[in-house]
Amino acid sequence: MIVLRQLINGLHVGSIYALIALGYTMVYGIVKLINFAHGDIIMVGSYVAMVLMAQAGLPFWAAMAASMALCGILGVTMERVAYKPLRSLPRINSLITAIGVSLLLQNTSQLIFSPNPQPFPTAFKVPPVSIGGLDIGFITLFTIVVSVGLMLALQAFVRATKMGKAMRAVSEDMGAAQLMGINVNTTVSVTFAIGSVLAAIGAVLYSSAYPSIAPTMGSLPGLKAFIAAVLGGIGVLPGAMLGGFIMGVAESLTKGFISSQLADAVVYGILIVVLLVKPSGILGRRTNEKV
Amino acid sequence: MKKKLRSYILNTCAVAALYGLAMLLIGSGAVNNYYLGIMLSAGISIVMAVSLNLTTGLLGQLALGHAGFMGVGAYAAALLSIHIGVDAQYIFPLSLFFGGLVAAIFGLIIGIPALRLGGDYLAIITLGFGEILRVLIINLDFTGGARGLRGIPRVTDFTYVYIVVALVVAVMFALGRSRHGRAILSIREDPVAAEASGIPTTYYKIFAFTLASFFAGVAGGLYAHYIGVLNPKNFGFAKSIEYLVMVVLGGMGSITGAVGAATVLTVLPEALRQFSDYRMLVYSLLLIMMMLFRPTGLLGTREFSLTALADRLLRRKPQAPDFAALAGELPPAALTHRLGEPPAPGAPALLRATNLGIQFGGLKAVSGFDLALEQGEIVGLIGPNGAGKTTVFNLLTNVYLPTAGGIEMEGRNIVGLPTHAITQVGIARTFQNIRLFKNLSVLDNVKIAFHNQMQYTPLEGTLRLPRYWWEEKLADARAYQLLHVFDMEGLADKQARNLPYGQQRKLEIARALAANPKLLLLDEPAAGMNPTETQELLATIRRIRDTFGVAVLLIEHDMSLVMGLCERLVVLDYGQIIATGTPEEIKRDPKVIGAYLGQ
Repeated sequence: MIVLRQLINGLHVGSIYALIALGYTMVYGIVKLINFAHGDIIMVGSYVAMVLMAQAGLPFWAAMAASMALCGILGVTMERVAYKPLRSLPRINSLITAIGVSLLLQNTSQLIFSPNPQPFPTAFKVPPVSIGGLDIGFITLFTIVVSVGLMLALQAFVRATKMGKAMRAVSEDMGAAQLMGINVNTTVSVTFAIGSVLAAIGAVLYSSAYPSIAPTMGSLPGLKAFIAAVLGGIGVLPGAMLGGFIMGVAESLTKGFISSQLADAVVYGILIVVLLVKPSGILGRRTNEKV
Repeated sequence: MKKKLRSYILNTCAVAALYGLAMLLIGSGAVNNYYLGIMLSAGISIVMAVSLNLTTGLLGQLALGHAGFMGVGAYAAALLSIHIGVDAQYIFPLSLFFGGLVAAIFGLIIGIPALRLGGDYLAIITLGFGEILRVLIINLDFTGGARGLRGIPRVTDFTYVYIVVALVVAVMFALGRSRHGRAILSIREDPVAAEASGIPTTYYKIFAFTLASFFAGVAGGLYAHYIGVLNPKNFGFAKSIEYLVMVVLGGMGSITGAVGAATVLTVLPEALRQFSDYRMLVYSLLLIMMMLFRPTGLLGTREFSLTALADRLLRRKPQAPDFAALAGELPPAALTHRLGEPPAPGAPALLRATNLGIQFGGLKAVSGFDLALEQGEIVGLIGPNGAGKTTVFNLLTNVYLPTAGGIEMEGRNIVGLPTHAITQVGIARTFQNIRLFKNLSVLDNVKIAFHNQMQYTPLEGTLRLPRYWWEEKLADARAYQLLHVFDMEGLADKQARNLPYGQQRKLEIARALAANPKLLLLDEPAAGMNPTETQELLATIRRIRDTFGVAVLLIEHDMSLVMGLCERLVVLDYGQIIATGTPEEIKRDPKVIGAYLGQ
């Protein structure tokens, strides 16, 4: 019973990691950039939702929609201003810019909201649902259902739509995609927009689960989601989901049965073991350079 | 040598003078404790930035856990000082060395699996390492746990920091301009070409990474004995990023750039302290602006040189090295390449491939490939596009591991040997799409391939012992000689990327020859050349064979070159040999005509 409870907790937090990991993995797949500012989009999304709910008194749905829209715009702006001009340069340049953007977001929000943590309003005042004698919080169920739904929708979008095909083409070979008449800039922007919107949803769900938000709150889930993406195979969408769930469950089981202190170490340990055994991640493909 | 000596004296004087000045200011009280603290922090940051520059700037591998190694060194050195039972100030150098050593061992353990893989794996694994380390330190008893390690004797003073900084910077420069430094740079430029030039790339990646970890450990030791209390939080991801930013802002690959950026980025936040609310905001904006408007960092890959500055002030013209004079100073025997001994009767063929094949998934790219080459032969490998010609080269040099058959070099099985070892055995190659070390000089491109013919160790190179001077001089002269074969000696100090296409192809051949091969594999050497250049190339290849006694196997589509140069031809189609013979026989072979024109 306890195992089951921890498993469900793991799925809860794991599906949030998975949502955020999708943003990392999509961006990495297309522009080969580790977007370190992705974690801070979670922070922005949480603050926007918090302000709208607590101060403007908007309902949960409206706040979440506004947060998604703003984060999407932020993601696209970020890409256009900070990453696009550097696309032809070595990747480490965009990586440093990403770190710069991350610091900028954190410090701006520190100036506006102060460095102190603030409470995140409770979204649902609904009693826990009882399934087979096990009480499951509504937010847990909601998170898992929403995340899995979104992941399936994204997968369908990338597989079946024209834009999805363009995204796959650009990630395969940006130059060739451009020659085939694909608007690379639009495709990259759409990728950042989708990633950021998913991060905003992840942010609201994350803050509902851990209802205390601060300007640096994005780093930890950001880092873990990134690791989830790598674990599953970076650049592969189902990999990000799988990685997120593995991370969440491993973390939750370690917390429940070994020590809450060691949870992070176990998670990173799993990552290192996986990379040693299968360097491209669980679902990743190994690509060979042509000589 | 004389010029080098002048430069050494000048730099040593400058380092000593700067130390004298600083001690004078500290002694007179002009520098108070607050400023002294900033100076010590800056020194420690310099060691961190310069060592990370080795991994990221010179080796070209992104590392995101450099502060983790600093942490390992800090704890190791501090624990030794606390527990050894001798007054810390007497054993401080030992503590520092111990810190470096433990960090280096960690570097080795992490580097071996991570660096074999290449790509972003080092970044990810070092990131994970930094975080695991933090969690472990918090959960262990002897490290003081989350409360931190207290009671570390505070023996770090300006002299220690200054000596370590000067040593680390000097070692970086000395190592960088030795065969080992060139090997590291070649990996950054092109790992495939480095391996084909005989550089054991995995070894040098691990070497550079371990050395960088060692220096980070020493910096950690300095830090621990300066601050007195260690907290695991100080060595996390954010700290690693801070050092990475220093390296990138200074200019990746520039040692002096890293020194400058580390100093500025340590002093700047202190100077902005009164605007503490806004300083991180300013810092992040600066970072973004810098990357957008000056993406190569302050210095790019250039180095600030005191000698060059002095030359300019004294209006002395920098002299180009006189290679001809250099060659004249050396005994003639040192200059000639090993001309192959005539093979003993009945000796095994130079190269023998039997039933060689490789399968990619269901596709047999090459199968049943048989070839025997004798010393000094020039053989052409021709066939339509996609016939598998380059794949044969990749099999012979073990870029691909064959799935069938065997390869013997002078009777010795070479299947499964790493590419750099195959180069050492005597097979050197060029690439279809030119792979030069683009940001290095023409001279260095050639000298990198001498790597295995030089013997001095990293220590001899760093200390500039006689063997270093002798071998480097020899290498310069021989590189000059090789470039002369291609009429390129005047371009020796140009960057390879700035050469015109034809010259780049020639430089690649010169580099392959520098590896002292018995067999030279040329992959479309005439591609992109006009008829006149092609005829020149034909004469050059023949001259190379006559001078150096090498056998040549070449892939080429230009039939005037193939027919005029090759003594024997092998025709490949769909991965299989369809004909072999003299050019005249091949011209008349109906199967060959069919393959080229379609039947």
